[in-house]
Amino acid sequence: MEISYECGKFFDEMFISPGVPRPHYQSIFDRFNELSEDDFHQKRESTDLSFVEQGITFTVYGDEESTERIFPFDLMPRVIPNTEWQHITKGLEQRIKALNMFLKDIYTKQQIVKDKVIPAEIFQSAKHYRKEFIGVDVPEDIYIHICGSDLIRDDAGNYLVLEDNARCPSGVSYMLENRQAMKRAFPRVFPKSGVRPVEDYPIKLLAALKHIAPKGIDNPVIAVLTPGVYNSAYFEHCFLARQMGVDIVEGRDLVVESDNRVYMRTTEGLKRVDVLYRRIDDDFIDPEVFRKDSVLGVPGLMRAYTSGNLGLANSIGTGIADDKVTYCFVPAMIKYYLGEDPILPSVESWLPYRPDDMKYVMENMENLVIKAANEAGGYGILIGPMASKKEIESFRDQVKADPRGFIAQTPISLSRHPTYSDSGFDGRHIDLRPYTICGEKTHITPGGLTRVALKKGSLVVNSSQGGGSKDTWILHGDR
Amino acid sequence: MLCRVADSLFWMSRYIERAECTVRLVDVTLQTLLEPEQSYEDIDYKHWQPILLSLGDESIFTEKYEERNSQNVTYFLTFDRENPSSVFSCIANARENARMIRDQISSEMWETINTLYLFLKKQNANAVCREIRFDFFKKIKESSILFQGITDSTFPHQIGYYFIICGRYIERAEKTCRIIESKQHMTDQIVEKADAIDTAQWAAILKANSAFEAYHRVFVSDIEESSVLQFLILSKNLPRSLFFCIQKLQYAMHMISGCRLDQYSNEAERLTGMLLSKLNYGSPSDLTYEGEDSLLAEIVSNLESIAVELSERYMFFPIVDPAAEPESQTQEQSTVTAIS
Repeated sequence: MEISYECGKFFDEMFISPGVPRPHYQSIFDRFNELSEDDFHQKRESTDLSFVEQGITFTVYGDEESTERIFPFDLMPRVIPNTEWQHITKGLEQRIKALNMFLKDIYTKQQIVKDKVIPAEIFQSAKHYRKEFIGVDVPEDIYIHICGSDLIRDDAGNYLVLEDNARCPSGVSYMLENRQAMKRAFPRVFPKSGVRPVEDYPIKLLAALKHIAPKGIDNPVIAVLTPGVYNSAYFEHCFLARQMGVDIVEGRDLVVESDNRVYMRTTEGLKRVDVLYRRIDDDFIDPEVFRKDSVLGVPGLMRAYTSGNLGLANSIGTGIADDKVTYCFVPAMIKYYLGEDPILPSVESWLPYRPDDMKYVMENMENLVIKAANEAGGYGILIGPMASKKEIESFRDQVKADPRGFIAQTPISLSRHPTYSDSGFDGRHIDLRPYTICGEKTHITPGGLTRVALKKGSLVVNSSQGGGSKDTWILHGDR
Repeated sequence: MLCRVADSLFWMSRYIERAECTVRLVDVTLQTLLEPEQSYEDIDYKHWQPILLSLGDESIFTEKYEERNSQNVTYFLTFDRENPSSVFSCIANARENARMIRDQISSEMWETINTLYLFLKKQNANAVCREIRFDFFKKIKESSILFQGITDSTFPHQIGYYFIICGRYIERAEKTCRIIESKQHMTDQIVEKADAIDTAQWAAILKANSAFEAYHRVFVSDIEESSVLQFLILSKNLPRSLFFCIQKLQYAMHMISGCRLDQYSNEAERLTGMLLSKLNYGSPSDLTYEGEDSLLAEIVSNLESIAVELSERYMFFPIVDPAAEPESQTQEQSTVTAIS
């Protein structure tokens, strides 16, 4: 199959110039070149079919009947050479360390506020700030156990952090399933590809969960807490539970007794649970403390947690780090807590709550990306250069009305990657979500989820909005 | 094992068995309708009515469909999503239960159910019903049997397995009762009780239970009511006879509790033991199937109580069987939280 197209003004992951691959892409480029169109389509079809048959799907709501879809999978892998990966992991380790120190600080002494690095009103007005949680001791001082920061590359190929997903980052099952799919599709390539394995993710996750078990419990009972079968990521919750060999529980399976311990209801009676990997947002986790109308949560769970009878990953209130205004302060945090310069830069940002920034944003809206501070999934975004006058004016009003609720960023021309489309291979924009696990040590799985915007020219990679994914190959070496 | 998991295993299994039983009934009725002297439309519905009556679905059908013809009944029993006991509804429910516990069952089990569901979804329902595609019914039956085989050979034979067995045999026993009961409604329909028709009806009932050939191996005689009843209720080795099903059920329940077979440790076990003794030590003259005080009615009500007791003992969840309560179809839907 021929892979060649104009790279344009974008950084192309594979090509230095049309038809000339970078050294770390040479072998996969050669493999695709020798592949006939028929073989390629056969591989594509059987891969898609196996996703459908295994039910590796997510649910899209909104229509009358919710539909299950597969997350489109592109057979052309994304390759990252070792040197680049070392740089990424150092940057992510630094970042998670600073974020965990920040959360500990915010929920205890708030020294960073006293030292005037971050204004109090910023975190106090963060949507996911949990004042109920101040002063609570957290096992091992780890707040974010699992983090899925989104990285992008600019037109010069520099890696930038776009956002930190410090609550319940999803997608890791796709990282693992995509690898399986690639191995089935290209069995001859793998043994000599020099690709680092990702398969130990569940083992590392399990170890991190064991690490936060209540003191004195050697063989903790661990479970994955899911909102249930109707959640769009339910497949992933089950997948991880199965891979780790632990139970998957819903809120209604758990009960907190008067001894402030958590139990699950089994056919043999109540059985104690020591650690929960929860995939339910704070809001819904305990109707005694947070949203009273939640039927997904477990009444009393916070009592068990604050009494030290339960390990919880991620901890409560980590969503404050997901606030896009907080994101703008991460470089300052790194400096403040670690005395280091950030290894992975953030995207240049403006904060409209500051009068000077507001003025700049108002004058340059058509050249900026505006983001709502607390939206996710690709919603609440204005891409100035691509937006209509009407859209710009609508955002202008919203930003004026709620300056704290928005940030503005320089538009980044995301790097592109050869991706199969109906007219053959063409460049499509991509990002990267590596998965960081913070336990006794910090572990970053050599891989991640590469998401790709399948629509030509689109910058939105989210699965809910026409995104797809690729297997991500981290090489042992640089070629 | 989590109570919720036990509940899902039990219902996953029950729904699959239910789908298979419905297909068996539809299949055998359609075959009977092929008999030349009975193939005009107005008599068709008379053949379907006993089945609808015994499944308890007749009122939903007549409310929904103006034309009471064979094609509509077939659609109603196979593809109609508004009929909670249609094959489609059963398979969708089985899959939903399997999805909730897909980390607990083997991937082969999940894929079998999922593939069957996808197969049903992509069928042209009207064509299947209009053209009477027997291979479609065969495929459903085979998938159900495939699922049982895959369960037997890929799923550890521990507590969870026995919940699956309980679900299968409670449902099968119940449906065998229903199929036998349908005979009395058939009798209601036909004023002149011709012997030939009677024999054909019993033959159809045997066929619906895969028991026609087996019957002839045991009873060299013609098909007679008393021997058919004896066979379908008391046979020690016919896999769809009531005695067989209830004995399997009893064994599975005792494997779950660990209690000796000659004793009991809960109400479900006690009821099952009593029922089994009654069948074991009863005489052929006890085998009545017509009316509210018949043996069959008693068995059906006993099976219901056993399911309730089983659920209260192990699953803690109240029994919600949408097919049993067509009015209360509102399935509990959890609030969905969007997670990016």
